[in-house]
Amino acid sequence: MSFALEVRDLHAGYGGRRILKGVSFRVAADDFFAIIGPSGAGKSTLIRCVNRLVEPTGGEVMLDGRNLLALGHHHLREARRHIGMIFQEFNLIERLSVLDNVLTGRLGYTGTLRSVFRVFTRQDIGKALGLLDRVGLSEHVHKRADRLSGGQRQRVGIARALMQDPRLLLVDEPTSSLDPKIAREVMGLIREVARELRVPVLCNIHDVKLATEFCTRIIGLQDGIKKFEGTPTDLDERAMHDIYAFEVL
Amino acid sequence: MSTLTLDARIDAAARLRRQAWRVRGLTYAALGAAFLWCFYVVVVADTDWARLAGTSFARTLGNFMEFDPSLLREMVDPAIDTALMATVATLLGLVLALPVAWLGASNITPLGRFTYVGGRGLMTLSRSVHEIVWGLIFVSAVGLGALAGILAMAVRSVGFISKVIAEAIEDVQPGPIEAIRAVGGNKLQVLLYGIVPQVIPVVLGTIIFEWDINIRRSTIMGLVGAGGLGLVLFRQMAMMNYGGVATVLLAVLLLIVFGEIVSHYARKAVI
Repeated sequence: MSFALEVRDLHAGYGGRRILKGVSFRVAADDFFAIIGPSGAGKSTLIRCVNRLVEPTGGEVMLDGRNLLALGHHHLREARRHIGMIFQEFNLIERLSVLDNVLTGRLGYTGTLRSVFRVFTRQDIGKALGLLDRVGLSEHVHKRADRLSGGQRQRVGIARALMQDPRLLLVDEPTSSLDPKIAREVMGLIREVARELRVPVLCNIHDVKLATEFCTRIIGLQDGIKKFEGTPTDLDERAMHDIYAFEVL
Repeated sequence: MSTLTLDARIDAAARLRRQAWRVRGLTYAALGAAFLWCFYVVVVADTDWARLAGTSFARTLGNFMEFDPSLLREMVDPAIDTALMATVATLLGLVLALPVAWLGASNITPLGRFTYVGGRGLMTLSRSVHEIVWGLIFVSAVGLGALAGILAMAVRSVGFISKVIAEAIEDVQPGPIEAIRAVGGNKLQVLLYGIVPQVIPVVLGTIIFEWDINIRRSTIMGLVGAGGLGLVLFRQMAMMNYGGVATVLLAVLLLIVFGEIVSHYARKAVI
């Protein structure tokens, strides 16, 4: 079996504080891979170490056989082009239109001069319109991003990530800013598009129920250490206890 | 627990309060005395009281009331000049302020503390010199005329515009920046897509505000020979045509009201 992403002995921290203490796992090409764990366990840091928004202090991150941690600036940006990211707070550019927001997913492929004048190719615009149809926002293409509801904004975020032709989707707490019903819809949409495009997903999620329902494989993190790895059915009470370390008072 | 009786504690508290009152009373007395001394030196001793008591005070004031409508015709062009000078100066000020804001915003300044201090220094320099002084400098540099006034106001505008923009840049939400980095954007793309859209409303609001101020400034730039209504004012003053002076001041007032109205609607449109 081949793995799309392999994380080996990953360490991270800042200013003397160690956040990740040697985490390893492998994500297969068809995985919807969840990272669960209590707040402060290092989930967010872990996912950001993969595309180096946070610089790890040690270990390896192999994507399609290449160690991302060994790349220089230029090659890192090239690698990031192919790693889509979906954020808890959506991270849209509020004053730009929905279409322009989706097009920013193409910036890694767009020359600096063209991006100064916000000139994108016809092909990119066509692709963006197609993705907006796919995520159900065809009615909102020319609206400003800040006029949309939370669920709609997250759909823009998904379309932007898909715009990159990603070989991996990093998803950071996609549902924390959404109500439960919208949260399920968004998780369902991410699962569908990932299957259609055959992209592996690495997803932080603190909602264990959503994780077991939508994900194929789960790791549990506690205080920077992997405490559990398995399928959703493996995640029994004992495992939960290990991850969340419920203390008996 | 205190071992003192309640009475003793009340006495002690009262004593401290009396002391505090004495300190406060002395401070107020000292401040009052200083103020009276200043007032005496600059007002009482330095004023020609005989002139105020006589009729010439009232007469001069009366002279100002005799508006000189014949001037109106020759003020039209300087008034337009004044408004145009303010506009050009504000835009030039913005162009100069952008790089200064880039240097002086701690989160994007290119070479760390070195360029940050440089940027902040330029902001302070621009604001700490009065526009009339900048005017004198540029009149001697480029000669009499509107250009000197424009340069003076532009340079004076840089400080405020760049300071506000730099602070807006320091306050941007980190989310969009993270998103642009994550898609593989380079530094310029992060600036253009992650930061610029967030500060645009602040930039527009600031230049409208600064334009409003520059209208005011440009009405007096003529005092140093830098064209506009100020020059007309200065000439009437030199000819001791007080009615003419009042007429020019009225025109200045009208221009400023015009500026207020325009900037009010412009700001509404932006926000």
